[in-house]
Amino acid sequence: MTILTRRTALALAATALAARAQAASKLTYWHHFTSQEEFTGLKNVMALFQQRFPDIALTQENIPNPEYMTKFTAAVMAKSRPDVSMVVAERLPDMLAMDGLIDVTARVDGWKNKANFPSDRWLGATSKGKIYGVPAFTFIDWVYYRKDWFEEAGIAGPPTTLDEFVATAKKLTDPSKNRYGFGMRGGPGGAAYLIDLIESFGSPFVIDGKNAMDRAKTLAAVKWYSDLATVHKVVPPSATNDGFRQIMEGFKTGQTAMTWHHTGSLVEMVRALKPAQFGTAAKPAGPAARVARLTYLYNGLMKKDNEQAAWDWISFWGEPDPSIAFLNETGYFPASIATAKDPRITGNPLYKSAAETLGFGRLPPAFVGLAGWSQNVVLPEFQKILVGQSTAEKATDAMLKGLDATIN
Amino acid sequence: MGGAGKDRHRGGLIVQRSFLSRLAGISDTKAWPWLLLAPCLLLAMAVVLYPTATGIDLSFRQMRLNRPDLGTGYVGLRHYWAMLEDPVFYVSLQNTFVWVVSTVGIELAMGMLAAVVLDMELPWFRTIAVIVLLPWFLPIVVAGNIWALLLDSRLGVINAALVSLGVLDDFKPWFADPAWALPMAILVEAWHGFPFFALLLLAGLKGIPTELYEAAAVDGANLWHRFRHIQLPSLTMVMTAAVVLRAISLMNSPDLILILTGGGPGRSTQVLSLYAFQKAYREFNFGYAGALSVVMLLLLMGSAWLYVRLTGALKDD
Repeated sequence: MTILTRRTALALAATALAARAQAASKLTYWHHFTSQEEFTGLKNVMALFQQRFPDIALTQENIPNPEYMTKFTAAVMAKSRPDVSMVVAERLPDMLAMDGLIDVTARVDGWKNKANFPSDRWLGATSKGKIYGVPAFTFIDWVYYRKDWFEEAGIAGPPTTLDEFVATAKKLTDPSKNRYGFGMRGGPGGAAYLIDLIESFGSPFVIDGKNAMDRAKTLAAVKWYSDLATVHKVVPPSATNDGFRQIMEGFKTGQTAMTWHHTGSLVEMVRALKPAQFGTAAKPAGPAARVARLTYLYNGLMKKDNEQAAWDWISFWGEPDPSIAFLNETGYFPASIATAKDPRITGNPLYKSAAETLGFGRLPPAFVGLAGWSQNVVLPEFQKILVGQSTAEKATDAMLKGLDATIN
Repeated sequence: MGGAGKDRHRGGLIVQRSFLSRLAGISDTKAWPWLLLAPCLLLAMAVVLYPTATGIDLSFRQMRLNRPDLGTGYVGLRHYWAMLEDPVFYVSLQNTFVWVVSTVGIELAMGMLAAVVLDMELPWFRTIAVIVLLPWFLPIVVAGNIWALLLDSRLGVINAALVSLGVLDDFKPWFADPAWALPMAILVEAWHGFPFFALLLLAGLKGIPTELYEAAAVDGANLWHRFRHIQLPSLTMVMTAAVVLRAISLMNSPDLILILTGGGPGRSTQVLSLYAFQKAYREFNFGYAGALSVVMLLLLMGSAWLYVRLTGALKDD
């Protein structure tokens, strides 16, 4: 009798443990948030998630953005994947090529909130008709400009074309006062801006897996952009080494009159400058197109172990409450059209240009090898022009040759 | 039952004794040291040889993680031939030479000076020793970012000091100038790494018998004579080891350059380790990165051998 009771107790305990283990899932989430605002926003979203799903133990892990693909690659190679990873459109081809993401098409199709995300929202996470991520929020490219300097110089408003942009930048440049018209990002992350310009001058990159770059149009774009530094001299002398932090500081400390970034840095600007000092504007149009990127940030599944719990987490980001909680801290635009109608967005004049950009903005280019080509070829070749080691012609040829090597 | 148990126990003892006696027999043979070394050798093979062999194997394979369509088959010397036609490889090779030789040279000189001064045991020398060693304690990422800020062309204290002293007319963007980017990176790395030499050389100096100094004093030797004829010759072995270790570390670590310049402007600060890193983790071309690593390994082995030969550190006196 005693033995039977012990056995029963053990069996009951084992059943209870098994049931608990089944109910409580552990999730690991990799992201590349960096700022304090982003971390607070993430913490708030996680708190809301824990309220809804108390049985899912969620652990977040920050990977610095420049090292993200290094860590992602190592995780895939070493079979030590997290459950969920942040995904951006330009990285998708590389991530898929190494079989790093799980297809979530069926889950998306059956999701009640899918209607809040128009078809273009999914493009950055779609390949060959399959969806590999759920949009969490979006960065919309725009221009920051010093409203007070514009008024001081009698300039009516922010430039709408590249020609106007040069004229404005020249007018606002005065090296004797350490003032420059444009805060160029010629260092880390700078290749993306040149790539955007190449597209706005009319050159595509890769079509049907082949190099489709138009040399003349690429050259015109490279020349226009490098001339800002070498001919017009409207950028700070440090431009060749300036990354995100430097262009932000240059603008905030009154060294530059205009700089290009996206909605993601708005909170930082609002905290540093007064409303009368700066404004936001849509990016100027090039000769062939007006190119401003809509960069959707997705969350994708990397393994199937806790698939349901992982799906609960990535789809949670698409709901209004977490989106607004994140927006409150970061200013990051929600990807859902339902949430974008929130009065906190529609009532803020600084977001007017973001709303305008949503009308013509486009997704970043995406092809296998883009990251390597842009960082290892485009950026150093462009820098060489800035420091007088090369010409726009030579750099353009090197970029075309580099793209050939990348895709062949 | 009890008898069978005793028999088994007795049998077990016999087997144990025969095993021990056989072991005792082996311990007298030449195989014994090898047997004792076997676990360590197996561990070394698993930890050192296997990864090295895999890396070398990789350099002969097609291995582009984002191009699975190309397969992972052997491509012979293709990556090595491609390297010969790659202008970035030559620039990286040249910069690596300048980077390693200059940094080690400056660090050795600074480390020697610090070690000799610390060896004098002047007042406050313990506090000074901690200050001297401080840069070495800092993680390279922290040190790199501190120096990036100190040398910043907008907010940098060093620029401000140089302008106020009249050395510069205006704030200089050091890392945006191809003529200055590599030298400044070398200075930052030397600042971070010289305590390594100071520590090792100080340990070497402490091992010199005081009788030698006393004898030199009787002969009327001054500080320079002591250094030239006692300290320097006594430190040959330590210096050689430190130089080889530091050269290996510098050649293999792209971290500081990655933080300060990313290899730019253009390719001005591109070094081999950074290039291999970029090939592997930006282009996912592990085959080519493997070939670059093999070249670095050969260069390191060759230069270490040459250096040891030239210094004569391993010669018997």
